[in-house]
Amino acid sequence: MLLAISPPILIQIIVWGLIVGCIYVLLASGLNLIFGVMKVVNFAHGEFMILGGYISYSLSIFVGLNPYLSIFVSMIVVGVLGVIIERVCFHQILGTSKLNELILSLGLIYVLQNTMSILWTDYPVLINSPFESRVLDWVIIIGITMLIMTGFYILIRRTKIGRAMRATSQNRVAAMLMGINVEHINMLSFGLGTALAATAGTLLAIITSITPYSGEIPALKAFTIIILGGLGSPLGAVIGGLGYGLIESVAVTVLGGTWRDAVGFIILILVLIIRPMGLFGEKEI
Amino acid sequence: MKKRTQLIIAVAIIAIIVVSAAAYYYTTLPPTRTIKIGLVASLTGSAADVGTDMERAAMMAVEEINEAGGVYVKEYNSKLKIELIVGDDKTNPQEGVAIVTKLITEDNVDVLVGGFSSAVTLASQVPAIEHNVPFVITGASSSSVTRRTDKDTSYMFHYCTITDDYSETIVRFLNHTVKPIVAPNRNLSLALLYQNTAYGQGCYQSTVYFINTLGLNITIVAAETFNMGDTDFHTQLLKIKNAKPDAVYHAGFTRDTADAIKQGIADVGLNTLYIAVECCEEPQFYEFLGSFGDRQILESKFGPQAESYSEAVDDYKAKYIERWGVIPGMMGADTYDAIYLIAKAIENAGTLDKAKIRDAIENIEMPQMLIMMKDGIIRFDENHEIDPLCFIEQMIWDGTTLKPYIVYPDELKQRDFELPPGYVPGGP
Repeated sequence: MLLAISPPILIQIIVWGLIVGCIYVLLASGLNLIFGVMKVVNFAHGEFMILGGYISYSLSIFVGLNPYLSIFVSMIVVGVLGVIIERVCFHQILGTSKLNELILSLGLIYVLQNTMSILWTDYPVLINSPFESRVLDWVIIIGITMLIMTGFYILIRRTKIGRAMRATSQNRVAAMLMGINVEHINMLSFGLGTALAATAGTLLAIITSITPYSGEIPALKAFTIIILGGLGSPLGAVIGGLGYGLIESVAVTVLGGTWRDAVGFIILILVLIIRPMGLFGEKEI
Repeated sequence: MKKRTQLIIAVAIIAIIVVSAAAYYYTTLPPTRTIKIGLVASLTGSAADVGTDMERAAMMAVEEINEAGGVYVKEYNSKLKIELIVGDDKTNPQEGVAIVTKLITEDNVDVLVGGFSSAVTLASQVPAIEHNVPFVITGASSSSVTRRTDKDTSYMFHYCTITDDYSETIVRFLNHTVKPIVAPNRNLSLALLYQNTAYGQGCYQSTVYFINTLGLNITIVAAETFNMGDTDFHTQLLKIKNAKPDAVYHAGFTRDTADAIKQGIADVGLNTLYIAVECCEEPQFYEFLGSFGDRQILESKFGPQAESYSEAVDDYKAKYIERWGVIPGMMGADTYDAIYLIAKAIENAGTLDKAKIRDAIENIEMPQMLIMMKDGIIRFDENHEIDPLCFIEQMIWDGTTLKPYIVYPDELKQRDFELPPGYVPGGP
């Protein structure tokens, strides 16, 4: 099937897979950070992504702000909202039961969806690119992803907060004994994770339209990606995200559009059977 | 008798007379009864725009009928008011089943109307089938909603064009109008991008059927699918571009059709003729598309945005805008007509007995309203389907708005068809 496609179009298909992969990288990295540090499965992560897209959309429509600059505003807004939600909701039930966390995050999906539906209606919206050429948009999307992921890497690997996050992720009790305020780290991680989701949402709204309900499937894919890449592995989220985007694009080409969502889950099942800790995860001792 | 006993007897007699008189009075009064019509619409979810239009149109029709006194029902010897009970299927089959079950078992509706998306309606019609409740379906275009073989669909009626109508109109238009311009000496190359649901598959299968049956010189060079709710069509469009089509027939809803056309032109560079189907005849579709819709095609049977072609449509459009402040959409028009159709059927039946209402709908004959019929009469055939007159609109961008004009068939034509700007013909 792929051989029947002309090389320039095949290249476009691969490039498109990478662009979609960039959005998955940002979304999965945020989810991975929240899970890695707090061990919380946040099913409402996709809704934070869409909220980011809507905030950027509003800024571009009502303030006339360049959508690529609005990313940073929506990151801050959604990040702060993430911190508040962590304090008000997750902090209260953390460590009580996994079921409580699950129900809370599922409940958040509906609260956020309905709030967005009231604020922006159910009609789809698309952020209009400020550029004539879509190629420029694609280059910028890849560039912004690289920039944000580099900043994220530096924060995690080279700063005191990042070290505290990694320490909390590895051993929460030991981190507390070492004087790390794990509650602050939880708050920061949740805020940073949702801010990354907001970035993904803005980029998504630039390439396709969004509605309040558009976050559900991408969130499921982000879970697949972090399991695929290895839970808690930042590199795994990057490679997993890009790989997932590519696999999805090739699957649609070879098998048809119906397989877009199914193929990733098939691969996930295979990975879990062959390598349960994910591609870049480490075996627990 | 003692005075006290006489007093008790007198009071008892008066009480009996009063109670008897009251009982007589209330039993001879016509019973307080309304005709309960359950509207099934997608008020939330991916088709919320269409569902809102259906709800608004149904409310208008009910208000108009009630203001005129209601529907005369012989059994009650009086005019009964219509009570509209709205159920949201949330553009989801499971939710559709739940809401139709509620409308039947809790709200006790007499008739159902509405239902958008074939995938949702094929599920949500099952409780209506099982409870023998007449259901006039106005928003699902797969013929299977009245032709399915696994269930008894004798209570189902389809007041909506079906995928056969879409595809027949489209391939006839392509052969009659487009082929002579872009492919006079070869077969016209057609690509399809369709939703992987009963509706989308119906569009694809009927396209193949009519090309073959009518012996048209059209070749299908690509047929790609997508899931309901998808927003990213880049990969499918790239594959279609590889197949070099002269036109792309997109069988989807408002949102995905607009997304696909925009992505095709702006992102993929597939500068071809895009054909959308009538469920996109919503104001939002024109807004989403904007300048990307210039000279693109929309198959339709109700064109409130087009130049005037029907007095009934003009009146309805004016009333709708006055009431809701927006231009009406397609599925609302079907629903509006269907409410009147149900009212007429109940009047003909003279009862609220569901079996008799079903018979009356089956035998209905009334003048066309908003949706034009080929012979001007609303009636159902043996498949419980109508015979609507479909047409093709071409959308023209004037720099600020996108406006459709009828370009086919000739008897309704408002202007000549033109190729879209930058159009690149396909290949054999």
